[in-house]
Amino acid sequence: MATASNPRSFLARHEFLVRRLHSLTGLIPIGAFMTMHLAANASVLESPGTFQRTVYQIHSLGSLLPIVEWVFIFLPILFHGLLGLVIIRGGTMNTGAYPYASNVRYVLQRITGLIALVFIVSHVLHMHGWIHAEGWLEHVVRPLGGAQFRPYNAASTLGTAMQGTLIPLLYAMGLLACVFHLANGLWTMGITWGVWISPAAQRRATWGCAAVGSVLALLALAALRGAVTVDTHHAAEVENAMYEARVTAHELLPNEHKRARPQADHGRSARGAKVEGCW
Amino acid sequence: MTPESQPATLRQFPHLRTPDHLATPTRHTTPMADTEHGRIAREYFEVRILRQDGPGQASYWERHRVKYEPDMNVISALQKIAAHPVTIDGQPVTPVAWECNCLEEVCGACTMVINGHVRQACTALVDRLLEQRASEIELRPMTKFPVLRDLVVDRGRLFHALKKTISWVAVDGYYDRGPGPPQSQEEQEQLYPLSHCMTCGCCVEACPQYAYAEVTRLEGETDEAFAARQAATYDRLFVGAHAISQVVLFNSHPTGRHMSGVRLDALIAEGGIQACGNAQNCVAVCPQKIPLTTSIARAGRASTAHTLHKWFER
Repeated sequence: MATASNPRSFLARHEFLVRRLHSLTGLIPIGAFMTMHLAANASVLESPGTFQRTVYQIHSLGSLLPIVEWVFIFLPILFHGLLGLVIIRGGTMNTGAYPYASNVRYVLQRITGLIALVFIVSHVLHMHGWIHAEGWLEHVVRPLGGAQFRPYNAASTLGTAMQGTLIPLLYAMGLLACVFHLANGLWTMGITWGVWISPAAQRRATWGCAAVGSVLALLALAALRGAVTVDTHHAAEVENAMYEARVTAHELLPNEHKRARPQADHGRSARGAKVEGCW
Repeated sequence: MTPESQPATLRQFPHLRTPDHLATPTRHTTPMADTEHGRIAREYFEVRILRQDGPGQASYWERHRVKYEPDMNVISALQKIAAHPVTIDGQPVTPVAWECNCLEEVCGACTMVINGHVRQACTALVDRLLEQRASEIELRPMTKFPVLRDLVVDRGRLFHALKKTISWVAVDGYYDRGPGPPQSQEEQEQLYPLSHCMTCGCCVEACPQYAYAEVTRLEGETDEAFAARQAATYDRLFVGAHAISQVVLFNSHPTGRHMSGVRLDALIAEGGIQACGNAQNCVAVCPQKIPLTTSIARAGRASTAHTLHKWFER
């Protein structure tokens, strides 16, 4: 039991602002990023080349990319997720006594939040590796099966990382948890910020958010299906041709770190001798 | 009831109508009449009560058998237990303590958890409860407040929240300042339901974000020191839906709105509106059908606007 003699923590003193920021970051940038991320990944369904073009566009940011990643994606997600843990601790489920739909959604919001946090942290490790320091990637992440995505061999490395049944199944669970959390979070956000006020408006908003959630769920499953069904050999040929063409046309600086490794690691070509940092 | 057969007040204020689940059952739905359907009318029913002898003591369940009469409510069942305080095993016990006052669901004193659901005992009809669960009626004190004895709890934290949010209109002074500014009919109709709040505590009892809190007196602590420590503790905990709704009521009042900034400051302090988790149980259990989530949304918008106003216009 807290008593008055305890010093008030930073979170307690700025509770309103911190909670409003938590609510805001859920939509901007996290929700916006997630929608773009799913749409970009769903483009793999069209063709490996389309997906590769999308990835080249993202990587055209060059050395700005890590800054954008950390400031607009990783840090907001960490803030939202870690504060979410504090928020979960502040509540007590009571759906047994009060099994109303909105109360069940209150519980689901917290459960999907937890799943989403675990999923996102492991997903970023699996594909990206968290931190692009060569020693960390080489000795810690890759032995664990992480950092599998290579942006200049986008579809083929994605397809390889998504093989088997367990990984796609875990991804489906994680994706649907993220989608529910975003759609339901949008609904609660409308009340928190006073956008939908009357019960009738809140009911309409429920349908609106359900529609948003359904579209995002379809997009997520489409992206997952695209990733699972990639023909990795064909995709690698297309990607390598695109890479060579871009490098020849001086549209791209050669960067072996962003390419898939040849099968025999030590027999690597000298193409990537000049490396632009690890990004 | 057709609208024409309703009294004029009910046509004007439909929310005053007794909710269906609380309405007096008509003859054909009472268990007595169930003999027609082959069920035997009951002579007795059982009441299971979570008792506690005093603050800080352990609670324990106790069973009582009560003689059935048609159209009883939980208060009359408790009166029968008080008149004959003997458990189902024939053990004489102290009478069960509870609070009640108006007996028409406008004071909130008899609020308790009945069959797992928070509500007023006076409008909890025995016939309906036995339809819900034939074996027994379960009574326990509200779970978010310190128990004083049996079904009596200290709801002081509810009133503390009203004090914290200055939920009144300040009109002190020696001079007659004349009548206040008029209120539009539309505004009156919007605010009248909010004035129905009886601070019964149902909204916070059902709220997953409102945690139980009990401050116990320290050895040798004076009344004043204890009250101050209790107030400081309550200040840091969630104010609850009732207080948020009262802020909306008084911030919309033509005279009360002069202090709207002070009330919003209280609402964005620690334990303020930001602790709401949007589970919406408050509005579902409110016996007065107060649109609490509407108030929360309005207050949420006003709190954000107030914060931005303080940032950019001060």
